[in-house]
Amino acid sequence: MQGIAEKLEWIQLSLGYFLPELLLCVSVIFLLLASLFSKAKERATDAFALTFFIGAFVLSLLQYSEVSSTIPLFSGMLQLNNFSTHLKILIDLAAILTVLLSYSQKERKGEYYALIATATLGAHLLVMSSNLVMAFLALELISLPSYALAAFGFQKKSMEAALKYFLFGSVASAIMLYGMSMLYGQTLTLDFASSTFRQAIFDNQNYFLVISVCFVLVGFLFKMSSAPVHPWAPDVYEASTTPVVAFFSVVPKLAGLGILIHFIQALNLGGYSSIRWYVIISLIAILTLIIGNFAALLQKNPKRMMAYSSIAQSGFLLIGAITLNEQGIAVMLYYATAFLLANYLVFWYIAYFEEQTVVEIADYAGVGKTQPFASIMLLIGLISLTGLPPTAGFMAKLFIFSSLWTAYEDSQAIIYMMLFVVGLLNTVVSLFFYLKIPYQAFLKAESRTLTIKKSILVNLFGIIVVIMLLVLFFMPSSLMGWLNRINFAL
Amino acid sequence: MQAYLLSLLLIIPLAGALVTLAMPSTSKQFRTIALAISLLQVIVLLLVFSHYSTQQNGLQLIELKPWITLDMGAWGILKANYFLAVDGLSLPLVALSVIVILIAVISSWKIEKSPKGYFALLLILNAAVIGTFCAQDFLLFYLFFEFMLLPMFFLIGIWGGVKREYASIKFFLYTLLGSIFILIVMIALYLSTQSIGDGELIIHSFSLVDMQDVNNIISNSILDPQRNVSILGMSARTWAFILLFIGFGIKLPMIPLHTWLPDAHVEAPTPISVLLAALLLKIGGYGLLRITYPIFPDIALELSWLVALFGVVSIIYGGLAAMASKDLKRLIAYSSVSHMGFVLLGVASVTPEGSAGAIYQMVSHGIISTMLFLLVGVLYDRTHDRMIGNYSGLSTKMPVYFTFTLIAFFASLGLPGLSGFMAELMVFLGAFKSGSTNYLLHESFAIVATFGLVLGAIYYLWTLQRMFFGKFHVKSGINNNLADVDLREKIMLIPLLLITITLGIFPQLLLDFINPFAEAFSSSILESGKTLRALLQR
Repeated sequence: MQGIAEKLEWIQLSLGYFLPELLLCVSVIFLLLASLFSKAKERATDAFALTFFIGAFVLSLLQYSEVSSTIPLFSGMLQLNNFSTHLKILIDLAAILTVLLSYSQKERKGEYYALIATATLGAHLLVMSSNLVMAFLALELISLPSYALAAFGFQKKSMEAALKYFLFGSVASAIMLYGMSMLYGQTLTLDFASSTFRQAIFDNQNYFLVISVCFVLVGFLFKMSSAPVHPWAPDVYEASTTPVVAFFSVVPKLAGLGILIHFIQALNLGGYSSIRWYVIISLIAILTLIIGNFAALLQKNPKRMMAYSSIAQSGFLLIGAITLNEQGIAVMLYYATAFLLANYLVFWYIAYFEEQTVVEIADYAGVGKTQPFASIMLLIGLISLTGLPPTAGFMAKLFIFSSLWTAYEDSQAIIYMMLFVVGLLNTVVSLFFYLKIPYQAFLKAESRTLTIKKSILVNLFGIIVVIMLLVLFFMPSSLMGWLNRINFAL
Repeated sequence: MQAYLLSLLLIIPLAGALVTLAMPSTSKQFRTIALAISLLQVIVLLLVFSHYSTQQNGLQLIELKPWITLDMGAWGILKANYFLAVDGLSLPLVALSVIVILIAVISSWKIEKSPKGYFALLLILNAAVIGTFCAQDFLLFYLFFEFMLLPMFFLIGIWGGVKREYASIKFFLYTLLGSIFILIVMIALYLSTQSIGDGELIIHSFSLVDMQDVNNIISNSILDPQRNVSILGMSARTWAFILLFIGFGIKLPMIPLHTWLPDAHVEAPTPISVLLAALLLKIGGYGLLRITYPIFPDIALELSWLVALFGVVSIIYGGLAAMASKDLKRLIAYSSVSHMGFVLLGVASVTPEGSAGAIYQMVSHGIISTMLFLLVGVLYDRTHDRMIGNYSGLSTKMPVYFTFTLIAFFASLGLPGLSGFMAELMVFLGAFKSGSTNYLLHESFAIVATFGLVLGAIYYLWTLQRMFFGKFHVKSGINNNLADVDLREKIMLIPLLLITITLGIFPQLLLDFINPFAEAFSSSILESGKTLRALLQR
């Protein structure tokens, strides 16, 4: 056991690396207190939340270090490396975009942002966790505010969705906790970055280990809304407000992905594991891709469709996670960036059309003629999610499948080839549902007249994101070159 | 100037699209802009011809600029270029594109439904088609290739006929499926190809020229013939060839991947049918000649019989289906399937005659199918009905129309003196020769294919008889006040007619461009194919 002095020393050493998280803690308290003492000032709350998230974003950005090694923090509870830093940057970016998207939200702004800040903090901690208990706490720190956020529509439907989310989430957490205790029983340590853990894993390569790991993965995959623990997503997405859905589809997903990669990396023992974890992840990815894409075909509600789309996208992100080498990580982060931008673009315009009472996919009929600009923006976002040129989505898919191909070339594992083919063929399936909204918008005749609210802010954001998506296609080196220079050694 | 001619050919329509988008949608000038753009392109095309030398073989008017250079650490360097050039294969097709697009713009003169969107999409499509034929870098090619899909989807889906939505979705899904197959091979190929660099890192090149060179295959990569990786019982190179073949076969289209074509053609408005038949189908044949065969010559020698088989089946089945069609546009769509089968047969023969015939057929079919679809459009404009059985004796009422149709039908069925004959003749020469020189195809392929000509004669003559001869009669309910071909239609039809006749009588005009390519193509396929197979056996 460590002495008090030693613990204090750890804390002292770690605090310098903990600034973004500290800022988020402050922001949670500040936003809550602000909403308690001064009512009504909606725009001020927006501005505060935005400032805090931008602050966290900048602080995370500053954490990029050329240091190749991983820095342990707080007695090895957390660890900071470039991979987690990059995920934190993306998570903060998503939080910023969520605030912008929540512009029209009216009720209980202070609490709302405090919840988002809490979940963001949880996501930060989760991608940095190197200890199973820490991972559990961080995961719950995302989950609990998420349950409340899901109910933020204040309607019967959203309450129901929140309750479903809560029940599913609790069960997933319970399974994960059970798996963790089983792992502890075998390894006698909770610190999965430690050599004790690796040694114990090396000595215990058996089915019991596989089962306990699978249990732990349930919790992570739940956050990623990945199959087979995805069924909460469609209901929750449909019933929640659009900014919250956009937040759900990115932040917990990236956080879950981060911890999953760290965890599998530890289990993989630098390639010396006799259990082929990549087969399990590949199977999960294949299942996720198929379920996500095919179920999306049947949807009539755009948010429900996007829920399945986000499930399918988890499958693609998992492909990036499989190779577990630096290139694979860099490519996965590129994909995550392209996904984040396109996803927010789509949700941005779904929210825009929602305000005009365009709720179901069929309601989009004819909007391409009356509001061509917004419809084209939405189309570009969807095209990027499909992965067609000339958008970032295509480059991201090209990179991610190239990474998978090199993995296949090195190992000759047939599972990689299966994943490769399933992944690419699913692109065709995904086109079918991603085109549903543009199909209604451009090909169908207008069924009713809508009251158009012109918003310069919305379109300005749209243009900026579209330009970014195009730049990421025509000049992939703008981001990829940067990612390649960073050392992602885990 | 010379160094930017091909880029100019692409930039002009894209700039036109931007101008179109910037204009208010109430404007009436969209068609004028599109026409001006097309005429400008004709001028640029003439400049391209003036700088092109038929004496020289290989790529000319090369534009090579670095586009993406990415250091991917352990993978090596990923390199894609902005690489445009033309040769004896590209140039005729580029010229065809410019001409056909000009005609399509004139044919779109009376579009009234949201002309702004229509002409903007048409201009984007214009750039994408020409870009596809000029790109010598796989990534660039793929970019243009995919870029055609969305404009085409909307052009069919918004301005099409009754079942336009179904047809456009079907078109999009089929083509995207094909392009995904091509994407799979593209990923495999660039990761297996290196270009010579000075550093220690491997440079993975997207350049098609690099991919065609046997020496650039990275040893021990999946596509290395010496490693001979087998996936599900077939070698990786065979898989790659087959995927490319299917990918381009969907576009071509070949039986049994053709089912999107009749629907798309029947539903599309006339100008779009023209573009589809005259240009988009050619990309299938172009892909075979530019990518599939030169990059996988070893498999090409092995599987040419399969390519030829699909060609012959397409010829015969397309002909039979055309014969059974009651809709005039559907008949022509199926005749396209039949004619594109000749392209497959010509390519598969790997002889100078056969490959030259394939290219000749692509150009000739591009011109003739444009005429045919325009002629259907002429009738449809007047009556809004395309059923063959609803008409008879049209020759008395519309004599000029009858003359045009007669010549177009004869050109399509391969009457000597018209371009279709020359193309098919060369394909047959190649296919027969292959049986005795390189032993790739059995003579029976060519023999069966000749029945395609008989079928062509049957369905065209039968259609002439049903629609044009006899007493004038149209089915009740159809506008029977039929005006003959007007001036605008003549402006479109007469140049096409002249081109068909010229190419039929003076084939050398076109063959001067094609021949150097065709000879180099067939000899290099045979040579490097044998080299690669020798590597495999070692």
